Amino acid sequence: MPAKTGSGGTRLSQGGPDRSPSGMTESDAALVARTLAGDLDAFAGLMARYRNSLGLYALHMLGNREDAEEALQDGFVRAYWALAACREPERFGAWLFRIVVNRCRTVRRRLRRHDHLTLLPADLPGRRGDVSETLGWREEIGRALARLRPHYREAFLLRYVEEMEYDEIARLTGAKEPAVRMRVKRASDQLRELLRDVRAG
Amino acid sequence: MTFVQGDRAPEPADETLRRIAAELRRPIAFDAAIDAAALQAIRAGRRSTGRRGVWPWLGAAAAALAASILLAVVLHRDPAAGASRAVLLRLVAPASSTVTVVGDFNDWNPSATPLAPSGAGEWTVRLRLPPGRYRYTFLVDGREWQRDPTEPPVPDDDYGAPMSVITVS
Repeated sequence: MPAKTGSGGTRLSQGGPDRSPSGMTESDAALVARTLAGDLDAFAGLMARYRNSLGLYALHMLGNREDAEEALQDGFVRAYWALAACREPERFGAWLFRIVVNRCRTVRRRLRRHDHLTLLPADLPGRRGDVSETLGWREEIGRALARLRPHYREAFLLRYVEEMEYDEIARLTGAKEPAVRMRVKRASDQLRELLRDVRAG
Repeated sequence: MTFVQGDRAPEPADETLRRIAAELRRPIAFDAAIDAAALQAIRAGRRSTGRRGVWPWLGAAAAALAASILLAVVLHRDPAAGASRAVLLRLVAPASSTVTVVGDFNDWNPSATPLAPSGAGEWTVRLRLPPGRYRYTFLVDGREWQRDPTEPPVPDDDYGAPMSVITVS
């Protein structure tokens, strides 16, 4: 019985936004089949197709490029060796996303000794009220995201950035659906509060 | 607070949150060197690249050696010490030519733990495992993942593949 991977409404399950020259015309399923037949170029096409979208999630989740790239690369390697387990090759993106989400959790656990994420250099000005003058909107969001609990951040990103349904998030994260809703709500409340005084640049 | 809770509307109704989500969806380019490094690791036979330090730089041979040592330690742990228990894994797969088991106990290495045919289409392997909780699944003919129907399924996992879990106490 394959684990469900959702109803297909997420951004990643729709094929991903990033198309590489090598994967321009071939479907995910075709590239998966070629990879399973031993064609590494086909897997390169899949990686290129999803690199940016998955990297974006990892970056938001982990807060810095180095860790995001580590999670992404590890996710690619693990996905390659486990590709036979991808029961719905046409939804390869959603399957790969699950792996990267879990890689981010693993990397995050290793980083737990750090009190905060490192989305920005520690020496940037950070006092509320005056930061909007020195930092852009995006940096402010990153700073606010980094202050959320990882579970809250994860739930928020999955819901509103990856556009997943609550039941999909529950299956992906192993949390109960009410807990997911609670996490999204608290993340939203906290982000709203943290960014209250910041205006878009 | 106004907030859309309906499953059909992942877009937050709140203006601030909508702007946050829109900003976070703005694309960022990631270097193709990530793919290249992954391909290099795959060609070298490495199953993962997740750990920093010396580990990622070990070659395939060193990784395989480490895995086999780990497995040997697991398999040869003295049961008299009370640290490990015998576990018999069994799968009925009459039409198969190979069955291996991959799991937390062998670093998900598809070639580390083959099952042997024991008659009537049944495949078995005997392991000694220290106390703990182990996720595992069978790999049939090198391609098909099939979970152990005699143990509880794992509802969620890295790969979306069917898996079972055993607890050795």
